[in-house]
Amino acid sequence: MKNKKTRGKKVLIYAIYILTAIFFLFPLFWTLCLSMKTVPELFQVPPKILPKTIHFNNYIHIIKNTLVLKYLKNTFVLVGATAFGTLLISIPAAYAFSRNKFRIKNNMMFGLLIFQMISPLVIAIPLYSYLAKLGLLNNYLILIMIYIALRVPFTTWYITGYMNTIPKELDQAAKVDGCSRIRIIMSIIMPVCVPGIISSIIINAMSAWSQFIIPFILVDKGEKLPLSVGIINLQSTSEAITTHYLAAACMISVIPMVLLYIIFQKFIVSTISGSVKG
Amino acid sequence: MTLTKQKNQLPVFKKMSTQPWSLLAPLLIVLLGLFLYPIIEVIRYSFTNLRFGRIEYAYTLHSFKSVFTDRNFLDMVRITFTFVIFSVTFQLINGFIVAFAIYIGEKLKLKGSVFVRTSVIISMAIPGIIIGVIWRMMLDESPTGILNYYLSLFGFGPVRFLTDPKIALISVIIANIWRGTANNMILLYAGLKTIPESILEAADVDGAGSFRKVFSIIIPSISPVLMICGLLSIIGTFNTFDMIMSLTGGGPAGATEVLALSSYKEIFVNYSLGKGSAIAAIILLINIIMAMIYFNMNKKVEV
Repeated sequence: MKNKKTRGKKVLIYAIYILTAIFFLFPLFWTLCLSMKTVPELFQVPPKILPKTIHFNNYIHIIKNTLVLKYLKNTFVLVGATAFGTLLISIPAAYAFSRNKFRIKNNMMFGLLIFQMISPLVIAIPLYSYLAKLGLLNNYLILIMIYIALRVPFTTWYITGYMNTIPKELDQAAKVDGCSRIRIIMSIIMPVCVPGIISSIIINAMSAWSQFIIPFILVDKGEKLPLSVGIINLQSTSEAITTHYLAAACMISVIPMVLLYIIFQKFIVSTISGSVKG
Repeated sequence: MTLTKQKNQLPVFKKMSTQPWSLLAPLLIVLLGLFLYPIIEVIRYSFTNLRFGRIEYAYTLHSFKSVFTDRNFLDMVRITFTFVIFSVTFQLINGFIVAFAIYIGEKLKLKGSVFVRTSVIISMAIPGIIIGVIWRMMLDESPTGILNYYLSLFGFGPVRFLTDPKIALISVIIANIWRGTANNMILLYAGLKTIPESILEAADVDGAGSFRKVFSIIIPSISPVLMICGLLSIIGTFNTFDMIMSLTGGGPAGATEVLALSSYKEIFVNYSLGKGSAIAAIILLINIIMAMIYFNMNKKVEV
């Protein structure tokens, strides 16, 4: 009786597993297959899923004939600078929020939360108007600062929560020894915060990688575009670029982050589930 | 995301806490300059008749008036709400079903649990703009489109996924469910893990059936998490811009034009900075209201 019930459960769960895996993986698998098709295969009716041969000619074509490598490089610059710069600002601030008592602290934390929820479109509008006037569109230093501004609210909030779990006795001893706050942060707090710091690096890298509105509005020079905006330009000039090339470009812009996600899955899951505590 | 109220009674701590402002200065400068100031500017713009390419402007309520009297605006609000409500509902249902299956699957030590979890999480690693491009290729309406081909095997279609105004909105919602399920799954799975084993065993002893167990024990015990999931999904979906941009561009005939997209179009296609900012100000107001609800809910959950 009991065995029968468990078997029924198992069958049901496997059915859910299979449907879920198909729903989530098929679009990516189809894109991967498209990226290896030739033009005749592309227009084949009825369509076949698998390409005839595994080859990377479409990838080579897109790398040679479009700016995709440049887009990739730009994206890496933005992602790296954002992930690093955000920490530089958020860690000291989180330390202050975690260890200091001051009157408007709770209001400031609430302010951070509000910033976190605001659509980047809202701030992109006036920033465009100013940067265009000053001739500073396409300026990477400013672009990076804006990316950082968008990420510090979440990061500060998250690292503050992480530091709150670290016993205060730990920095107390160092303080008595006369260490400066910066030294305490660097040599005592940061080492114990490593998992939290790694999580926020990944989440911020991911967010900067897929950031669209800001560069879409604030960058108008082709060679300065990041991947996200570059892809939509490729898509809209679809006479020059057919589906198999577009699919190859999509794969190029998806693979680095997907690998990062699979490798650091545990960190990501623990960061996201951080707001649910047992 | 904890917000603990610290009470440090030890005098040593009192002495320890020097002023926090030097540590907070970089944060404040960045946020005031690149976040708060632009927000104030958008609100100011929304009360003007600013246009790109014209220098003089006047303060007026005309932008808001023209937004609210625009018949398209009502349409956009309806589209945005339909998009949000259906996306969020199915993201929650899907997220729960997958989280629950994995939760039970791991208890039964089923193979493939990690694989399924990973395949869902991968969707989070993909930029919204690419999700739009990928689904556009999936939903190709020509005879070479893969989804239409499969439907034709069952005697359906061809479906005009992206050119029929009614179906286009459904297509956008499906792509958004694909995008947003993972976050809910992770949160709900974490929620399921917090249910004490003893409660479930007690229900077994009482002879409660599986369905009763789900609806009268499991769902009520994770309801705070469900609320947070719902709200985070609402915020994420409401601010969606990128995916719709590449999937439909707001078309056909504005059928998938959500508020964020129309604000963009007013400004950068019609050059009407005042009116576009008025729509952005409405988006901002809704964002702030949602953040306030989230803040209060989070506080309750923590306690």
